[in-house]
Amino acid sequence: MSTFLLILITGVGLGALYFLVASGLSLIYGLMGVLNFAHGSFLTIGAFTGLWVSTKVFPNPTTWTFIAAMIAGGIAAGLFALLMEQLVINRLYNRHIDQALVTVGVALVVAAVLGGWFGNDLRLLPTPLWFMKAISIGDAIIPIDRFVYIAVAAILLIAMLSILKFTRIGLIIRAGVENRSMVSALGINVRLAFSTVFFIGGFAAGVGGVLISVFSYGVSPGMAGSWLIYGFIVVVVGGMGSLTGSAIAAMLIGVTNQFANYYVTGLGDFVVVFILAAVLLTKPTGLLGKVSH
Amino acid sequence: MLRWKYSRPLLTAVTAIFALLPFLGNNPVSNPGLQQTMAVAFLYGALALTYDLLFGFTGLLSFGHALYFASGIYVTAILINTYNWNFYLAILAAIIFTSILAALTGAASLRTTGITFAMVTLAFGQAGHVIISRDFGGLTHGDNGLPINADRIPSIFIGVVNTKFLYLLALGILVFIYLTAWWITESSAGRVFAALRDNEQRVSVLGLNPNRFKLLSFVLSAALAAFIGAGMLVVSGGGSPRFASADTTIALLLMVILGGPVTRWGAVLGGILYSVLGTRLNALSQGSAFESLPKFIKGPLSEPAFTLGMIFILIVMFAPGGISGAYYRARFKYLNKGK
Repeated sequence: MSTFLLILITGVGLGALYFLVASGLSLIYGLMGVLNFAHGSFLTIGAFTGLWVSTKVFPNPTTWTFIAAMIAGGIAAGLFALLMEQLVINRLYNRHIDQALVTVGVALVVAAVLGGWFGNDLRLLPTPLWFMKAISIGDAIIPIDRFVYIAVAAILLIAMLSILKFTRIGLIIRAGVENRSMVSALGINVRLAFSTVFFIGGFAAGVGGVLISVFSYGVSPGMAGSWLIYGFIVVVVGGMGSLTGSAIAAMLIGVTNQFANYYVTGLGDFVVVFILAAVLLTKPTGLLGKVSH
Repeated sequence: MLRWKYSRPLLTAVTAIFALLPFLGNNPVSNPGLQQTMAVAFLYGALALTYDLLFGFTGLLSFGHALYFASGIYVTAILINTYNWNFYLAILAAIIFTSILAALTGAASLRTTGITFAMVTLAFGQAGHVIISRDFGGLTHGDNGLPINADRIPSIFIGVVNTKFLYLLALGILVFIYLTAWWITESSAGRVFAALRDNEQRVSVLGLNPNRFKLLSFVLSAALAAFIGAGMLVVSGGGSPRFASADTTIALLLMVILGGPVTRWGAVLGGILYSVLGTRLNALSQGSAFESLPKFIKGPLSEPAFTLGMIFILIVMFAPGGISGAYYRARFKYLNKGK
């Protein structure tokens, strides 16, 4: 029972990280039809900013400096996403394949620049001491960082859902996901919604990057690789353009992954692909998919 | 006609010169190091062409092409090393196995279209990478790579002195793939592939089953990729999980975009250029050329991915069609000058 609880909570924590990567991918794809291969760069930029804040700006890690690192990472990644949207994506308006291709180029360049500046080695991101502790629930001993991932992802999920639900720009985004041409036809400026979505997606990925470097014990220019692929899988399983779908799919995949890995090392990755294939064969739009473009 | 009337003799002559270079005494290609580099570059040129068949000619953006390349490498290697198969028989079996694998995964992926298709193929490719790098079943040796048993491949391909034969082998494979791709794209099935890319609805209105032809294109390019994989096994001396990684497929995409899709020679040129640049930029950046630059410029420049990524972004944004596209635009302008 204690092992079960440990694996379950670790899986949900992993799912929380997947969600942070996937939420932006899902919104960006849902609204603009852009498959964003540079999303991994947002994550890496967030992680490096977090590293900078928690080593150079505040050398003594406490809870508050870690929160500052997460916010700084999120903002840096969000600003980079905004910049990329303005400089590159905007100029390829409605050329979806080219937009996806150009993000591949951006991902390469960002990894190369970071590698050139900081080297390709793994660097440890300092965390407050209580991150290393574990708490016991019943007879299960669970490392406390899992709960941090879950809490942060939950806060961001609620924040993003509130923005989508209660603000005007959120309304435009939701409408745009369902039918973008109709929204523009009504004379509403969709471009602003594009920028917002890129910033929000970049922010979530940046925060995710800081947490992922805690989870995987380090920051490096190539850290995003498999996280991005998992992000894509979560988006497809959850359904494009649906935040709730991404959240559910992220939990499902995180938990399944952990359980499979517990029984056979390395089986997790394989089971996830199997889930993907099963969902696509039975419901090609994903669990809660809205868009079909 | 956009085609220059001497383009075919020119291509033949260039190929012949490349084939003779290792034997012509003192020139850069008589050095085994460069012969090895060029052999790998020829194979990537051929592989880029098989990807072009899928992406450029049929309009299928797949992110899992590396899977079939790696399957060609690993199935051949495993059959030779573990089961003591005959070299040629193993290659044939690898091609057949890969075709079946491509038929199964392709049929599942083709239930989706567009960007979703890209993601599903990415996931299949990733699954393949996981199987190879995690060493399921103890056949692939995981991240250590799988060196081929040198006793079991023709002795003409063994040893540094014989690197020129690896070079010729790679060039031969490239010519074979080029001719095959030519034959496929000019056949009636090839016309349907192009039609699918341009207007899928019209193809189905004409009474043809779009998915059947997409699957045909998918399986053909996978089978050719497996054949190139067998060549790569001989040239590079073994399998490595990086051949199956998503980075390899992304590199193929970059090659095709760099050289320009749908022109055949564009993809080949892009593949050769990308592969040679990737190796040479590395050597260049270790040299003294960038010594005097400040570190924040020198660092990124010493990473080949920076230069390649920048070129790629600029081509996608400002020069769609890549090198061959630019050539045809210039030629079109030239032909219409008098009118």
